[in-house]
Parts: sequence; structure tokens; C-alpha cells
Amino acid sequence: MKNSFDEKILDEAQDWINANQKVVLATVIQTWGSSPRQVGSRMIVNEKGDFSGSVSGGCVESAVVSECLSLIKDNKPCKKIEFKVSNESAWEVGLACGGEIAVYIEQIH
Amino acid sequence: MKIKTLEEILKKKSSKTEFAILTNLENGDSEIYLPGTSPKGKFSKYAVEIENFFKSKKNGVIENSEIFVETYIKPIKVIIVGAVHIAQYLVDFAKSLNFEISIIDPRGYFASEQRFPDIKVINKWPKEAFEEIETNSSTALIALTHDPKIDDPALQYALKNKFYYIGALGSKKTHENRCQRLAEAGFTNDEINSIHGPIGIKLGGKSAPEIALSIIAQLVSQTYKK
Repeated sequence: MKNSFDEKILDEAQDWINANQKVVLATVIQTWGSSPRQVGSRMIVNEKGDFSGSVSGGCVESAVVSECLSLIKDNKPCKKIEFKVSNESAWEVGLACGGEIAVYIEQIH
Repeated sequence: MKIKTLEEILKKKSSKTEFAILTNLENGDSEIYLPGTSPKGKFSKYAVEIENFFKSKKNGVIENSEIFVETYIKPIKVIIVGAVHIAQYLVDFAKSLNFEISIIDPRGYFASEQRFPDIKVINKWPKEAFEEIETNSSTALIALTHDPKIDDPALQYALKNKFYYIGALGSKKTHENRCQRLAEAGFTNDEINSIHGPIGIKLGGKSAPEIALSIIAQLVSQTYKK
């Protein structure tokens, strides 16, 4: 069950902003099949690539970080990214659990 | 998301006000929505869908749209009667599960704040204690004293106020006697059968933390059926 009022990730986002960092918020907006983190799970990424929180069980965080960095670099407001089942024969990012998730990334500005 | 929106979200969170964040995924516009009000602008035609997310306590994208809804729902109030050993473990489990616990126990030596730091402990008989707690059909009751003097008035209060989960600790025999007393007090069979007794799902364990785990598992499962 969600513990939304006690969830601290958005407070952390504000701390980062107050420290003059650029912050991208990543949110799980849809899941299909089995996925480790439920809809509404969040992580934040700054322009240095530091991150906090999670959107999966460690499967796609690194890909989300690089997408967030591109968003800052290209100065775009938002983007939707979908991650599907990983192909074991390829060194690509995917969800080993067999699920699919959609992550929405947006700059806090 | 605008910094202003983020600040507003944090304010609502710390005052524990129920709200939702509505995001237009096409352009990243987001807005705070309060349940019972009319959503503004582009979100206005999805009023029914947004309220449904609140009712089902879920987050998600509205079907055939590019609108994401994230709801912030108040924790569920759980009242424990009996500041006993099992209650200490229940408090530990409840912390990470969005339950807000209050404990009632008229026996002073049990209900010490030292045993339950950061928890509202009411050192009164149930009848008086319930005057201090706001309850409704989203409240749960866990009766742990298996002492009729203490448990029964609390169970009667919970039945009358239609708590969504009512559980009572005690053996089958203890529970049979309890049911009989409630029937004599005028409660219907349906009401009496709604009490989970003996409390908890069958795990097989007998230790205090194991019983607490079986109770909290039943409570979570009933919360999702609500």
C-alpha cells in the first residue's frame, strides 16, 4: 500500500532545486504484467546524473538517468519512455521480470 | 511541473489534505485537484474518471486520454484495543503500510507511552476513548484484550459505526461466547459474522510477532476489498 503523505522524494526534489540544481522528475505512469514498482513511483535526477528514488527494481534506472540528462541538455519539458521485456541475447536495458512500464520524465522549472 | 506546483504539493502533503496531481502528458502541464471540486481547463471533462481514481485509491492514466492522475489518500485509521505485546509488533508493521494507529487501554500499566513512542495512546475505557477519536466506515478495529469488559464495548461501538474491518483476538470458544453476548445485546447475525474472530489469517505461528503479522495481513487484504 502506498504511503503517499510520508513519501519524501518530492521534498528531496525541492531541496535540490533550492541548491540551484536542475531537476527532472521521473514517474511510473503505466505498468503491464509484473513490474516491481507500482504506478506513481518516482525518482529524481539532477544535471550531474545523481539520482534518488526508483522506478523499477534497478532494471531501468540507468537508462532513465541518461534520458533525463538528454532532456536537460536539449531543454525539453517532458517525454514518455516505454520499457519492454529484455532480450537476454542483447546487452540492452529491459525488465528481466517480464513486465513493461511507461515512465514519464519532466523538468521541474 | 512548475516549481510553484511542487511547493503546493508539499504544502498539501504536510497538512495531510487529500488531493491529486493531474498531469497532461502531452505538454507536462500539471495541476492540483481537490476531491469534490471541479477540475479546471483541459481536465474538466474527466471529472468522473478522476473521482473514480480517488474511490479506488489508485493512480493511472485515464483511458483514451493523455491525462495522468496521482491521488494522495489519507492513511487508514486503525484502533487497537489493548496495549499488549502483540500491539507493539502491529505498530511496527503498520508504520510502513499507511495505517495510522491509536491504542485504547484503560489499564495504566499497559498503556504507557514509553512502550509506544509516537503513537496516540488513550488511557481510558473504550466508551470515553471513542469520544476523542473521529471514526467512520473507513476505520478498522483490532480488539486484543480478550477481556469482555474492555473488548465488548469497543466491538459494539465499531459495529454500530460500521467500521470496515473488525477483528477480535481469542480462541474459538472465547469468540463463541463473545458472539452470544453480542446477540443478547441485540446485534444481528450478519453484524456478528462480520467480526473476524479468531482474528488473523492462518499462518500457523503462535508468537506475538507472528500473530501480529497474521492480523496485519488480514487487515491489508480487507482494505483492498473495501
